[in-house]
Amino acid sequence: MLILLFGAIFSGMSDSKYTLYVQDLDHTDMSQGLVDVLNKTGVLSIKNVTTNETITNYIKDNNIKNLIVIPQGYKNDITRSFVDPTIKVNITYYFDPTEQQTNQVLRSVISSVLEGLNMQLSQGRSVVGIQEESTVTENFGFIDFFIPGMIGFTIMQQSIYGSIERNTKYRKDGILRKLLTTPITRSEWILAKMLFMLFLAFISTSVAIGVGILAFGIKVNINLLTIVIIIATSFLFSGIGMIIGRFVKEEETADMAAGAISFPMMFLAGTFFAVDAMPSFIQVIAHALPLFYVNEGLRNAMIYMNQTEALINGGIVLIFAAIFFIAGVILTKWKED
Amino acid sequence: MTMIEQRFKCPNCGEIASFHGNPGEHLVISCPACHLQGRIVIPGQEQSNTIAIEVSHLTKVYEDLTAVNNISFTVKKGEIFAFLGPNGAGKTTTVEMIESIRTPTAGNIKLLGTDIKTGFNLIKERISILPQEFHSFERFTVRETLTYFSKLYKKRADINEIIDAMDLRSHEKKLYRNLSGGLKQRVGVALSLVNDPEIVFLDEPTTGLDPKARREVWQVIANLRNKGKTVFLTTHYMEEAEHLADHIAIIHKGEIIAEGSLQDLLTRYGEKTTLSIKNCQSHDAQRHLEEKGFEVHSSGNGDITVKIDHKEKVLEVLSELRHECIEYDGVDIRGSNLEEVFLRLTGARLTEDVEK
Repeated sequence: MLILLFGAIFSGMSDSKYTLYVQDLDHTDMSQGLVDVLNKTGVLSIKNVTTNETITNYIKDNNIKNLIVIPQGYKNDITRSFVDPTIKVNITYYFDPTEQQTNQVLRSVISSVLEGLNMQLSQGRSVVGIQEESTVTENFGFIDFFIPGMIGFTIMQQSIYGSIERNTKYRKDGILRKLLTTPITRSEWILAKMLFMLFLAFISTSVAIGVGILAFGIKVNINLLTIVIIIATSFLFSGIGMIIGRFVKEEETADMAAGAISFPMMFLAGTFFAVDAMPSFIQVIAHALPLFYVNEGLRNAMIYMNQTEALINGGIVLIFAAIFFIAGVILTKWKED
Repeated sequence: MTMIEQRFKCPNCGEIASFHGNPGEHLVISCPACHLQGRIVIPGQEQSNTIAIEVSHLTKVYEDLTAVNNISFTVKKGEIFAFLGPNGAGKTTTVEMIESIRTPTAGNIKLLGTDIKTGFNLIKERISILPQEFHSFERFTVRETLTYFSKLYKKRADINEIIDAMDLRSHEKKLYRNLSGGLKQRVGVALSLVNDPEIVFLDEPTTGLDPKARREVWQVIANLRNKGKTVFLTTHYMEEAEHLADHIAIIHKGEIIAEGSLQDLLTRYGEKTTLSIKNCQSHDAQRHLEEKGFEVHSSGNGDITVKIDHKEKVLEVLSELRHECIEYDGVDIRGSNLEEVFLRLTGARLTEDVEK
């Protein structure tokens, strides 16, 4: 599966097209010609943006990752450049700097198209150029994308492994049997374990953020939504761990069971690579994985300050957490059959 | 007060007889068949105060396997009750049903007079268990381990007293994972005392220990009786049951095949004690002892063997020889044991696993 995943991402064998939004402010046959050429590359899925949209608001409201703007006067400037070679025209390419793979592909496609166009217009002299702008107001890098993903991934690992391994070990060592005959209730025991998991989650989050700030100078916004997502994530994956732990009897198989769940999720849910860069069928899978919403929620809440998106992601995480944690509590048994 | 009929099975001849008495009344009875005398207590209010564990018609069936088949027994307060049987006989299944970890297919269990089906939570404070192959939290010290489990109860014994009683003072700051097997089991027994329980369940507490460590744990268990605790001990070591138990129930293939004190079991099911006398200096020894009613066998080379009912009769035989001025080189006494009892009852050795 990993060969398939990495192969699809890095070998360019992705069956999906990259979405490129285009705002044509010129509305001439020449600007439409450029859009047509971009469309014919077969790599891009062109989506038109109406001219009455303010582009920065449109990008923010619709969470747009890649967009070009063909300026008004595009045709006129090209025509004038035949007479005055100093005249140039730039199209503006808006991109999300955190999505490096996607940017690389799109930049390459757009540059190739413009080179071909310049060759036709003036035997290679640069008439039409490209001006790059970040889709986000601040200049985010890959580390800003990576740190929230690492936090989500770490909490997932701690919670799943913690639940499964401890459950199987405590069962094997007779601790659960011992606890069953003490006054402590099953609910109290699960709650105690959850508090411990939460403690670990906050420790690892603090370490990840600390390293990010000190070593890479990232700017992090810790708000209530971030804390809610972290708590929900801890409950969510502890619940998944409890469900698996119900069926894993041997300590030796606990590791394998935890790995079988967390390892693919780590790669598929956009922890290290943007989901948009993945083949379409993997994107469908990614959107069904709770870690995807954890990663997106944390990024939006902590880094991009897109609280609307963060709220939606956080809500989905909360729903996942409620379902899996309740199922985990119901399925966790101390008694033997 | 209403008179109650109590049926009683004679441990000597197996005769079943009925006796009548008031609840809680102690009676001296005599078997109508063999005239063996003994004491019984008529059950009732008063007796319930003396019974710690009461198991009746307990059964556990797993699909096509009957792990425990309709067993009944009682454990008196303050005694060490050994539940003896080979691996796979149904010991742990039984004790786990008593501890409410497994649900019985049929039967009733009362702990300290409380039916565990409805009142197990009420008596959790009054019991404690040491599970089979128990390992506590590895990164806790001995003291932390005791403190942790102590805090799960409302009633708490003094940790320092337990540490001293279990001879753990020099180990209290050691991590649990660094302890030897014997020490871990001692800590396990110590853990079962943190709530000052009335009943302590010890499930195979010495399995896997070397003989020295095993004897150390035995001493700890014997001390529990001295503290007035009722101990329910499951074991497949006959020496353990012989050494510790006031009362023994032998379980085989899910059924209790014998029950009683060690002496009862040896008397009922064991071979007679054999006294071997080496190189007897008189040919009249055999005749003389036979005249005194002893069962004597001669090997022809001067060695004779005398079968006796009890070890106490050894002195009687030797004093007879001394009285007749018969000299000998030495004696060897070989008594019966639970292994022989088990072998006689089942045709198998106690150390053999029961086929599941």
